[in-house]
Amino acid sequence: MSLQTPRVLPAHLHAFHPSSAGARSTHTVRLLGTVTGLRGDTATITCGGNGDVTLILKPDSHLQMGKLVEVVGKVTDLEGGQGLGIRVLGTMDWGNPAECDYKAYENVVDATHRFKSIFYDAE
Amino acid sequence: MDGGYSYNSFAGQGGGGGYMPGEMNSPAGGKSGDRDNKTLRPVTVKQVADATQPYPEAPYQVDGADVANVLFVGQVRNISLQSTNVTYKIDDGTSEIEVKKWIDSSTADNMDTDDGKVAGVGKTEVQLNGYARVFGAIKSFGNKRYIGAHSVRPLTNINELHCHMLEATAVHLFFTRGPPGGAPAGAGANAAGAGGGDAMMGGADDYTAGQNRALASMSPLARRVYSLLKTEPQDDIGLQMQDIASKLNLPPTDVARAGEELLSAGVIFSTMDEQTWAILDG
Repeated sequence: MSLQTPRVLPAHLHAFHPSSAGARSTHTVRLLGTVTGLRGDTATITCGGNGDVTLILKPDSHLQMGKLVEVVGKVTDLEGGQGLGIRVLGTMDWGNPAECDYKAYENVVDATHRFKSIFYDAE
Repeated sequence: MDGGYSYNSFAGQGGGGGYMPGEMNSPAGGKSGDRDNKTLRPVTVKQVADATQPYPEAPYQVDGADVANVLFVGQVRNISLQSTNVTYKIDDGTSEIEVKKWIDSSTADNMDTDDGKVAGVGKTEVQLNGYARVFGAIKSFGNKRYIGAHSVRPLTNINELHCHMLEATAVHLFFTRGPPGGAPAGAGANAAGAGGGDAMMGGADDYTAGQNRALASMSPLARRVYSLLKTEPQDDIGLQMQDIASKLNLPPTDVARAGEELLSAGVIFSTMDEQTWAILDG
């Protein structure tokens, strides 16, 4: 089986944390959000009305403020006990957030988890 | 046109009509279905990976229904330019698959989405790690499954990606649970069967699935009549049209029309006379 990267919202991150589900084979997820903060090696994305997520960037990550990005990364603990974040494996720039119907993405996340059999293997 | 449900139109539908879904699984039906089944299904890459073949060389099946062509979107993880084809590795987050697009330099009659000339510079170029929309047929070489692509084009609007995922889900649900709205066709027993098919992805109980598919494309009225015929206690003769009309509290003309629909699909048959029907099953 190749690597599966479930599409998620910030609220789902805990379910993909290495400690919370021992049996779960994948900790790698996909997130969609607008870049709202850039601080050198970390960044913040805002996922519609679903909250913010902190990203731990790779040296070759190119993020631009205000752009919509799709992030593939591993769920990890942030330094200093600041909760969960994403260690970035790859990003994809989708341009202007205004052109994306975020509601559609929320529905995609819902559908992919509700009708899992066509998207992801059961853990 | 509503009034046109005469026996003539019925005969016309039968003559020019498509294959009964139930036939798809017979070897002969499968063969001819290969040519006549021109469906294009939106799928996830995982569904392609999970697609089954009832017997070698048979058309691939997803959710128990034959698929001729598939449509999916994913990120391009690798592009390998060869002398006769371009091979892409496509990852949509559910699985990965190789997509081969043959280079046909002789035809100028290419779609504007054509990417046969990858080496050239153009706005239709598919980029590494960018998203692409693929349309092609499931093929296999040895034990390796791949897509023989008719078209691979870049996808730049994220809404198209989301729309595709939802469409794939909707079509999956259509095949496993029947059409939206209305009670599941054939009530309890079939619903359970559909659930089983869902879990197995292959849909082993093809007969039930076949009936479901036949019903799936029908009017809600026809499905109600079918459901009544299925559940109502009756003898071999089945139920009379007037009887059905009064039980469902519907005008007899509507029931007659629903009956025509079910008859032409071959899921019910007439017994005593033209207006008495019973369910056609084993």
